[in-house]
Amino acid sequence: MEQRLRQEARTLLEQGKVDWIIGFEPGSLKFTTTPLITKDKSDVQRLVINPFIVNNLAKFLIEIKGRVGIVAKGCDSRSIVSLIQDNKVIREDVVILAVPCTGVIDLSKVERLMGKDRDELDDITREGDKVIVKVDGEKREFPAPEALFDHCLACEFPTPQEYDILLGEPSSPIANPVAKEKIEKLKQMTPEQRWGFWKDELSRCIRCYACRNVCPACFCQRCFVEETEPQWALPVPRWQDNLIFQIVRNIHVAGRCTDCGECERACPAHIPLRSLTREMYDIVDELFHFKSGMDKEALPLMTHYEQEEAEDLFR
Amino acid sequence: MSNKKVSKKDITKLLSQWSQQFTVLVPSKESGVAEMAEWDGKDTSFLDWYRNTVVPPKASFLPPMEEMFHFQKDKEGYRIELPPNEHKQLIFSIRPCDARALAIIDANFKDLYQDPYYLSKRKSAVLVGLGCTNPSQSCFCTSLGISPAESTDVDLMLTDIGDQFLVEEITDKGKELIAKTSGLKEATKDDETKAKEAKEAASQRITRKINTEGIIDKLLASFDDKDYWEKIAAKCISCGVCTLLCPTCYCFDINDELVRQEGTRFRSLDSCSFPVYTKMPMENPRQEKWRRVRQKVCHKFGFFPMSFNVIACTGCGRCIRLCPVNWDITQTLASLPVKAEVGK
Repeated sequence: MEQRLRQEARTLLEQGKVDWIIGFEPGSLKFTTTPLITKDKSDVQRLVINPFIVNNLAKFLIEIKGRVGIVAKGCDSRSIVSLIQDNKVIREDVVILAVPCTGVIDLSKVERLMGKDRDELDDITREGDKVIVKVDGEKREFPAPEALFDHCLACEFPTPQEYDILLGEPSSPIANPVAKEKIEKLKQMTPEQRWGFWKDELSRCIRCYACRNVCPACFCQRCFVEETEPQWALPVPRWQDNLIFQIVRNIHVAGRCTDCGECERACPAHIPLRSLTREMYDIVDELFHFKSGMDKEALPLMTHYEQEEAEDLFR
Repeated sequence: MSNKKVSKKDITKLLSQWSQQFTVLVPSKESGVAEMAEWDGKDTSFLDWYRNTVVPPKASFLPPMEEMFHFQKDKEGYRIELPPNEHKQLIFSIRPCDARALAIIDANFKDLYQDPYYLSKRKSAVLVGLGCTNPSQSCFCTSLGISPAESTDVDLMLTDIGDQFLVEEITDKGKELIAKTSGLKEATKDDETKAKEAKEAASQRITRKINTEGIIDKLLASFDDKDYWEKIAAKCISCGVCTLLCPTCYCFDINDELVRQEGTRFRSLDSCSFPVYTKMPMENPRQEKWRRVRQKVCHKFGFFPMSFNVIACTGCGRCIRLCPVNWDITQTLASLPVKAEVGK
């Protein structure tokens, strides 16, 4: 798949079909990748596809000027489609290099499984439905779902539905119940318990805005949280202000969030943000029968209204 | 000067003694993120898992958010109420990189200005260092003249020598504390040898390097190369992870919360990664991302050493490890496009 990608990317650049290639290259730490954004065809040799391609590269389409060949997993491709719906990206300007995704490895889960820091592990590989970890000459196998991100376990469309070049055989959803365990737990709490839970979690927020800045659904030129007149929330990391920020952000990405899980992964304070975004994703689906980023011709959910929605919505 | 030692199983006793006098802070994951938090009186499990905290210990001196004062308007005018400002913190097992970071912040908050909020915490604090024996792959402290297991920026320095810690008295403050502490034994020659070996081994484990030779000149020579900075900045998402969690970054913002006739003035950390950081009524000199990335690099490795004669980086590696896109400062420094001749 990697060889094919490099070849396709090179051809796209050589034939002048795109100005930019956005993909992944090996990161500077073990088990990481990093976005590669380049115009230079000699760079495409560095492109990789592996179980550590965490980022949703659709984010970079918002700021980049010109035609782009972009590597996309299922969730990323939906973010691209969502940006097309919002007129932030023109379909003809992107060449989607589709990765049929089999799930991305969550290093925090691997650390918990192994009882070791990622630095201490020698190798992590994916083989079929297993994740294999090597440490000190010892080899341990885990069923893949135990080591993949929660959002990958809930992913409905791991193979991009909207693409130009498909880089491999389509993959199927994993559909593992663990995906929503955290959310189910929250739902069983009383409102008071839930309030306490989010108060504790959001007390750790440092307002770095990594959640917002990795998110392709967050494309406002000026975020409400930075407004000073009126000042919706203080730019001070108090839990109350942090809560306002997260609630409003969540409402703003409703109908745009594709459950790529990047907000939660990027959070240095380990706040389980996906418990908010995924719940919103499901509410949107239930109320409006709308799945984000599935149909590039569809109008953005929150910009139009249909008569028959009324019954479901105002109840 | 003879050094002391303390058995690992006696750490609880040691911390209990110090708790009588100080608010003892230890590495903790209790809140959900690794940080220095008040010791609960029994837990020493951090001795097993601790490599370094996510939140740097600067948070104990320059918190992410602090109340500067409360104000109230009445008939006579404004009444100002200051928050309690008595601190006596003892930070147990701070890493040499983070201890140096405090010394770097001192240049601004203690020497250039005298910041009362910072100094009230800093002056009364005792720093007990713990050498790294297992540094992370993102660490590059040795390139900045810091040893992972040695420090002159702490009051006491601990080195892991098996089932005991060697305790070195670094400052008079440390010496005084030890004089009042019971349960320590005299270190033997053998202990000293073990500690020396552990320190050397730790230094060897740091494999990530940067070259700081002529760094100011190199940065100044590369400053106007827009193409370079655009390329370097391309994948940055302009979040505040690398700055807010940097042990040496100290930029702050001040905000008032006003409710009718009263309010509170807050100080909180700010970040040069944010476009609003430099936003002014008419324009923003760093609206473009590459200018902000350039600022961050040049401040730490150019402007700060130009003013204070020390690089504002200690190689703790947090910015590399925690970056959502793995933007790596060491790669940037290694790829500077020096156009002018260096050293003139």
